[in-house]
Amino acid sequence: MSSREDILARVKANQPADRELPDLPAPGAGMQEQAAQFSRLVEAIGGEVVRVESCDRIEAILQERFSAGQRIVSGPEVQFGRGGRDITAVDNDPHLLADVDLAVLRAHFGVAENGACWITEELMEARVLPFIAQHLALVVDEKDIVPDMHAAYDRIASLETEKGYGFGTFIAGPSKTADIEQSLVLGAHGPASLTVFLVEGGKPGEGRTFNA
Amino acid sequence: MSEKDHAALAKAFNEDEPRVDWHDQTLWWVRQKRDRAARQVPDWEALRDTASAIKENVLSRLSGYLEQFEAAARENGVQVHWAADAAEHNAIVLSILRGHGIDRMVKSKSMLTEECGLNEFLQESGVEVVDTDLGERVVQLAGEPPSHIVLPCIHKKKEEIGEIFHEHLGTPAGNADPQFLTHAARLHLREKFLTRRAALTGVNFAVAETGEFVVCTNEGNADMGAHLADVHIASMGIEKLVPLRRHLGVFLRLLTRSATGQPVTTYSSHFRRPRPGQEIHIVLVDNGRSVHLGRKDFRNSLKCIRCGACFNTCPVYRRSGGHSYHTAVAGPIGSILSPNLDREKYGDLPFASTLCGSCSNVCPVKIDIHVQLYKWRQEIVQAGHAPAGKKAAMQAMNWVLSKPGIYQTAGRTGRWVMAHVPSAVNNKFNLWSLHRDLPAPPRESFGEWYRKNKANQ
Repeated sequence: MSSREDILARVKANQPADRELPDLPAPGAGMQEQAAQFSRLVEAIGGEVVRVESCDRIEAILQERFSAGQRIVSGPEVQFGRGGRDITAVDNDPHLLADVDLAVLRAHFGVAENGACWITEELMEARVLPFIAQHLALVVDEKDIVPDMHAAYDRIASLETEKGYGFGTFIAGPSKTADIEQSLVLGAHGPASLTVFLVEGGKPGEGRTFNA
Repeated sequence: MSEKDHAALAKAFNEDEPRVDWHDQTLWWVRQKRDRAARQVPDWEALRDTASAIKENVLSRLSGYLEQFEAAARENGVQVHWAADAAEHNAIVLSILRGHGIDRMVKSKSMLTEECGLNEFLQESGVEVVDTDLGERVVQLAGEPPSHIVLPCIHKKKEEIGEIFHEHLGTPAGNADPQFLTHAARLHLREKFLTRRAALTGVNFAVAETGEFVVCTNEGNADMGAHLADVHIASMGIEKLVPLRRHLGVFLRLLTRSATGQPVTTYSSHFRRPRPGQEIHIVLVDNGRSVHLGRKDFRNSLKCIRCGACFNTCPVYRRSGGHSYHTAVAGPIGSILSPNLDREKYGDLPFASTLCGSCSNVCPVKIDIHVQLYKWRQEIVQAGHAPAGKKAAMQAMNWVLSKPGIYQTAGRTGRWVMAHVPSAVNNKFNLWSLHRDLPAPPRESFGEWYRKNKANQ
């Protein structure tokens, strides 16, 4: 017998009597202060939240923070940096992103209970981009904050296309470690800083397509 | 008994008392962070119940979920391998690497590969493995195994890490600043990420419904490795499945709050399909799990999600250090998992506990850890694996307690000796009194007191 048959036969013989799946907790009710709680959590885990009235403001803010010589890459759905800035086609070699100073990417939604943002590969130039950049900025609409992780997976299901995502990740704050004597250090391997641009208003039907 | 034994190794760890105090207090601080995080979640206890019930369901239908997962993963373009034991797992990993002519690999945290001894095996086969989690890199450079499943180098002081980095990475001697050392590791490991064509990761959760798997890190090292490599190998124990993707919501809420008190890990990455030009391989590993599943009293330890909360709360772990457990997964959970693999070699571990039950109280999936520790003790003694001294003492006790006359004489003699020649019992030959003084003996036994008072009435 192959190991596969062998393992499956042993598991089948030894697994206990059938147990039903439990009901899952209901997603948290939408709170008035959801965006405020999300912002508090992002700050608590080492990130920064900048509220902007529109995406146009983001460009101006980043111009102030990053000099012309720094390499800034923005993903689909984010207009910032296109044109004058360096947007190198990755051409299936993610190593070409090794010297990116800042990545600016759209995220699908944020989670109020833990400050995480959900982003799938359609919104990244390449899967490695949100990890390899020295700094990361995520753009989320204020209306796209869900209360908790149960609501998050409901939202992920509603975003699902026929093929589904090939890769998706929750990003909560900058890359960090406390492996040396429990001293917190930001910027372990990934971005040393995370800025979340929370776009105010963003009424449904405004024409954005990133949640489609 | 094996040549390695928890009590002896713990004694060695305890020779450096300030370090033990530091270790104890630091882990207790992590435990307190866990408490604060848990209290932020309304219905935390109900969430633990739900997680436990989902895992009970997984264990009861594991064979079906495994087949469903395999089919879905293959549909996603992922290659699935089955390994009956550690040797087969290691051979599969090596054959994948050799198939691509790869002899250098980066690896993120995977306790399963520690359990399988993968690093040693690959090194002997001419493959260089670089551990990329900072704590794991520290212990790898030091030539040691991790001492904690979440905090691999919690037993090391920053000065020692500075020394190790000075020797291996060329940092200035005497620099022990965590910020500086972390940055040095970042530069050192970035070069590895950018030049290695294969990356191995562990798996925190795998979803039967969709064939995807989730890897959680704070550092981003699993993602840096996997997204830059041509070949991504993910090693997982067969018990890591959850039925539906939405079940991940329950486990991701519990995992990191229980582990470090963070609301969630920085990265919770969901891998479903390889990117164009990349291969993803999943190795499903049994290594004793399917046998363990058949042990009624012990099977539910397979619900474990490896958060490490039971380590941080355990009064024995905190004061004896992870290496005293001489196994890949230390602490209370390791003490009930390891005897399943080898009950003679790990027969000492269920005794490394006060049975206080704190581990069971913090476990996010409600494993009855302290009850299983107690039950393993009985199995191990019955199988004849108890230490000789303990066996002799229990036999003597059994003889005395079963004969009332001898019991009364022994009691009188014992009280007289304790009162008049305490050094006869309070000495280094009495293991019980090594770390504590015997209590003052009562003047008389209850039996003597009762007879006297009955006569007075």
